[in-house]
Amino acid sequence: MTATIAWKNIWRNHKRSLVVITAVTLGIISGVLLIGILEGWSKQRLQDAIYNEVSHIQIHQADFMNNEEINLTVRQPDNLIRVIDSLPGVTGWVKRTRIVSMISTPWAASGANLYGINPEAEKLVSHINQKIVPRGGRYLDAGSPSDMLISDKTAEILKLKQFIIADSTLDKLRMAKVPESLLAKLEPLKEKRFRSPVDFRNALRKAFSKKELDRYGAILMDQALDYRLRNKVQVTFSDREGNPVQGIFRVCGIYKTTNTSFDQSTLFVNADALAALYGASETLTHEIAILLNDTKDAGATAEKLIPVSTGNSVMTWKELAPDAAMMSDYMLVYYFIFIGIIMLALAFGIINTMLMAILERTKELGMLMAIGMNHRKVFSMIMLETLYLTLAGAVTGMVTGWMLAALLGRTGIHFTSWGEGFEAIGFAAKVYPVVTPAFLLITTLMVIVTAVIASIWPARKALKLNPVEALRTE
Amino acid sequence: MKVLELKNVNKIYNSSEVKVNAVNEVSLAFEEAEFAAIVGPSGSGKTTLLNLIGGLDTPTSGEIIIAGTDLSQLKPSQLIDFRLKNIGFVFQSYNLIPVLTARENVEFIMTLQQWPEKERNERTEELLKAVGLGDRMNSRPSKLSGGQQQRVAVARALASRPKFVLADEPTANLDSKSAATLLEIMEKLNREQKITFIFSTHDPRVVKMARRVITLEDGRVISDELR
Repeated sequence: MTATIAWKNIWRNHKRSLVVITAVTLGIISGVLLIGILEGWSKQRLQDAIYNEVSHIQIHQADFMNNEEINLTVRQPDNLIRVIDSLPGVTGWVKRTRIVSMISTPWAASGANLYGINPEAEKLVSHINQKIVPRGGRYLDAGSPSDMLISDKTAEILKLKQFIIADSTLDKLRMAKVPESLLAKLEPLKEKRFRSPVDFRNALRKAFSKKELDRYGAILMDQALDYRLRNKVQVTFSDREGNPVQGIFRVCGIYKTTNTSFDQSTLFVNADALAALYGASETLTHEIAILLNDTKDAGATAEKLIPVSTGNSVMTWKELAPDAAMMSDYMLVYYFIFIGIIMLALAFGIINTMLMAILERTKELGMLMAIGMNHRKVFSMIMLETLYLTLAGAVTGMVTGWMLAALLGRTGIHFTSWGEGFEAIGFAAKVYPVVTPAFLLITTLMVIVTAVIASIWPARKALKLNPVEALRTE
Repeated sequence: MKVLELKNVNKIYNSSEVKVNAVNEVSLAFEEAEFAAIVGPSGSGKTTLLNLIGGLDTPTSGEIIIAGTDLSQLKPSQLIDFRLKNIGFVFQSYNLIPVLTARENVEFIMTLQQWPEKERNERTEELLKAVGLGDRMNSRPSKLSGGQQQRVAVARALASRPKFVLADEPTANLDSKSAATLLEIMEKLNREQKITFIFSTHDPRVVKMARRVITLEDGRVISDELR
């Protein structure tokens, strides 16, 4: 009966209860989504860091990471490879040449890490071959020594990324159902070459209204984009004697990961072609990258490699991509901070509502105590009312939040406006929220605990009522 | 058989300036099946006396003995249980639980006492029929008139077979017709089922029907008249 009364009591003031339930629901939905997005980002960043950038373990000569000189090659690489091959849980490994170089085109120059790789072997540890952008050419071909794979960002820096409105561009825009009135506005821009996205965007801003750009800007940028594939890029670095060496490569493909800073500092060429430049009979190994079956094994596997890596340094992904490691390690902290804030707001909302409800029902509570409802039952009734109110909102919030997160987990959320900013610090512009059952369970428990704690104050206030005085109130 | 006895009961309120003796040396005894009215002008101590008898307030001195139990010996939690089992209350403004139906309001007291469901149902129906609301059992208080609500309150007060029923100005908010009906019902229950009713009232109709009239003035019993 106490439970029935409690349930009926919360529906006495429909509006107020619905406001509280809605507030709880929205709070939980935003909590679930926020954590889902963070978790998604953390997982994506971890995946991207490992599969695009650093693998699980890297071995370098002990001083190499402090002083990236061409002569600081991995000590006894073949011995190490034998050990690596004997270790369990290793998916693959590669040897890389890594040289700090100047790169230049007739229009711009920059500095970058030039990686000499074996294109086929590289696929065992890195997904970079899957990151070629649309209309961005192809991955390195071992049979084509002049091939160079650069990133979209490097292309932009070296002015190899251009925007041109050609007749074919207009045809494609027409196919994409861009209105003719807009295409007419593109006429003055036709056949002009814009060597940076900023210039092209500015030109579009002059030609179109903000509304038109919001709607069609992305597709215009996309269709007008043109990479100058096969363009020559000159590389300059010091050889083993310290003499400058120059070489020419041609851009075969453009890749793009979610980490702009990695992209702008990383280019790939065939290791043999690079060796020919610095004049060695065999390729130099500055880096051995190892991919494991399971990320959790990285620490243990590295421990096994350290004793056999005299003169070398063995680093796991946690040291190589500390941002990803930190995000992964601190997820629980973020979770408790966000959920803690939501629960605090929830608790105050509940306390306020229940205190109001008790104030309105002072006379009735006095009557209940007068006719013999004992303290335990009055306390339970108030507590149950609070729990019902909170759980109604929490369950709705959890289910809706989970469904939304599941849906967005499939479609992804594209942070268009902030995409560049996110990618500059290594986070994908498109995030796929991840909500685990454990998270939902813990959050539900936290909501229940919050509701119980929040109900104590109103319930105690009800108990302190003096029936005689309470009955006198109007 | 005595159901209630008051021995030299005093209730003194100490405010900062004055000491008010709301109930002053009251000694009374009530027998089973009494139909008694406590009357007196406003401020004479009727409601305070009723609160003391009902165990809602504690006397400054003196003893209140109900069915052999001295209320002053009970802890607050025991007092609540004692009220539940031994005393029925009818309040001036009905004070039903608005979210429950008439049936559920009456049943509530028995549920608190953990009566078996079958007995609860039978007793609820019996009582609501007795107060003439057999056909309104499933109505919520908001759908009942004031008189009907007060009759539900009477049924609720009787639900746990209390030793007596305390009714504080039960007819004060009712029109004369409803008041008359309510009084007839209570009188009939008193006569047929030997239920003791103690009223505090201003209402001459109640006084007229009462078989014992206790008059208070300044907290003292100035007359105790049996009819």
